[in-house]
Amino acid sequence: MSDFLRDYLNVVWFAAIALVLASLLLGISAIIRPNKPSAEKNIAYESGVNPVGDGWSQSQVRYYIFALLFVVFDVEAVFIFPWATRLETYGTFGLVEMGIFVFVLLLGLVYAWRKGVLRWV
Amino acid sequence: MIAFSAPIVDYHALAPELVLAAGICLVLLVDLFVPAHRRWITGTISGLVLLGALLPVVTLAVLGGDVRDVLSGDGISGRYVVDNFALVLKALFLLSGYVVVLLSTNEIEDGGYYQGEYYVLLLSSVLGMVMMASSRDLVSVFVALEFLSIPAYMMAAWKKRDRKSNEAGVKYYLLGVFASAVMLYGMSLLYGIAGSTKLSVIGEKITLSGPRTGIEVIAVVFVIVGFSFKVSAVPFHTWAPDTYEGAPTPVTAFLSVASKAAGFVGLMIMVYLAFPLARDVYRPFLWVLAALTMTVGNLVALKQKNLVRMLAYSSVSQGGFILMALAMAFTNGSEESSLRAIIVYLIIYAATNLGAFAVVIAVARRTKSAEISSYGGLFNYAPGLTVMMTLFLASLAGIPPLGGWYAKFGAFRAAVDAGGGWGYTIAIVGAANAVVATAYYITVMREMWMKPVPEGADTSAVKVPASLVAALTITGLATLAFGVVPGIIAKVGSLTDLTGAFHG
Repeated sequence: MSDFLRDYLNVVWFAAIALVLASLLLGISAIIRPNKPSAEKNIAYESGVNPVGDGWSQSQVRYYIFALLFVVFDVEAVFIFPWATRLETYGTFGLVEMGIFVFVLLLGLVYAWRKGVLRWV
Repeated sequence: MIAFSAPIVDYHALAPELVLAAGICLVLLVDLFVPAHRRWITGTISGLVLLGALLPVVTLAVLGGDVRDVLSGDGISGRYVVDNFALVLKALFLLSGYVVVLLSTNEIEDGGYYQGEYYVLLLSSVLGMVMMASSRDLVSVFVALEFLSIPAYMMAAWKKRDRKSNEAGVKYYLLGVFASAVMLYGMSLLYGIAGSTKLSVIGEKITLSGPRTGIEVIAVVFVIVGFSFKVSAVPFHTWAPDTYEGAPTPVTAFLSVASKAAGFVGLMIMVYLAFPLARDVYRPFLWVLAALTMTVGNLVALKQKNLVRMLAYSSVSQGGFILMALAMAFTNGSEESSLRAIIVYLIIYAATNLGAFAVVIAVARRTKSAEISSYGGLFNYAPGLTVMMTLFLASLAGIPPLGGWYAKFGAFRAAVDAGGGWGYTIAIVGAANAVVATAYYITVMREMWMKPVPEGADTSAVKVPASLVAALTITGLATLAFGVVPGIIAKVGSLTDLTGAFHG
């Protein structure tokens, strides 16, 4: 076998192992788990309430927008905390960097404000 | 505690990125604070920002000199640099971005789309590309790649109410993320082998000898597969036609030119810096990709009835010619002619393809269609556009004296320079494909020049807005000039130093 094909055998093995591993994990559990379906078990969430109406329903989009806004502050905090613990080490360079970072995140907040997202209608 | 020393920043070398970043903030703010009927101004500002970012690129090129380390300091030197290679490509990305802004202005304004956001995303994507040209480190390559891709995912789905546009965005996004994951896995293996994210260090460690050969092969293959999605090489091209057809046409132009070029730049940086000694792995792989990409792209393009879809497949097959030159790098000392061929190809292809899309947009303003049959008798009522389209299609087909022939010439020369069984066979496959490709470009020409106007079509003169005229002028002049006087571009392509770390 040529060197080239032997090299690519690695890739083939790699793909084969990935396939075998995934099918083993799913296959074994399919074989050993007990399978006793009943009308009760086929209801959504077994013990939950029966679904009413169809799959399309309206939900409040406002919560979603607030969740996105939360990300702005969350990301800010995640990066500011570690920086704050070593504030003196990073010195002026770090301060300017963080200033730019906060400014860009603030732009996101200004964007949300101008688009009227902050008003609870 | 590890001592921290601030990196020394070469602000002149970083200026293009800084101008773009400031421009993004500016456009965002302007969009928020001007009344809706004056939002068009965001497009104008974006164009100016792109040209403004080109200014430092020009001054850096004029000053010339050695490779500039943008960030230097403890352990970070040589990871983000400005050299001739980076400057040429930055200029290419900024100018393509500018032409896309010209193509977008009317389309986005008339469509009632979100103008400000559109330009912010466009500028962000261009910023990612500009960063890609300078990146010489796994981390910065990956960040640049995501930076240029993520805005593009959103731009592909810009026609919010249009099912096809949503489909385009979702397909592009899912496959793009999948490709990123595969590539990231390969990159993590590279880091594991080399113990450094710096590409020149990795290049010394990936030798395909020693105890970890198997892992090295997998790492190289995974990284190349990841980039193959980005440059839509067959068999990783399946997203391209649907995305190109569904996305707004200016976005399609952007994806098929700038985004694709950035993918090739990334691939080129990886092959030239990180894998030069792994030739035995990437050469056969890229060889097969190149042959498949040219052939399949062409054969499917032959059957297309929609011009945008046809251009999508044609851009897939054009990518094959670039891969051909890349596959033959580092074979019998052909790395310089390959590098030159790829850069020249990217530049000429950008000018030509953007021009073709400009005509498609101008005609679609009248016919509201991109079906090839709707181009029947175009010469009768839009002679100027017909001549321009013929020019661009002939250039894509590689007919002298238009730019395309010189691009193809370079790619073939790289393959023949490399020689040997690999080089000559791929050159023959390429030559056969160049002939096949001519067939479908000529079909469109025949439709425009010889077929009658479809019944009921409005045949009054087509008004082309000023921004499209400007875009057509730029791309048309570039296409002609590169073909008639290839000397101007050959000079650009002969700047061989890819990093300064290229030879040592």
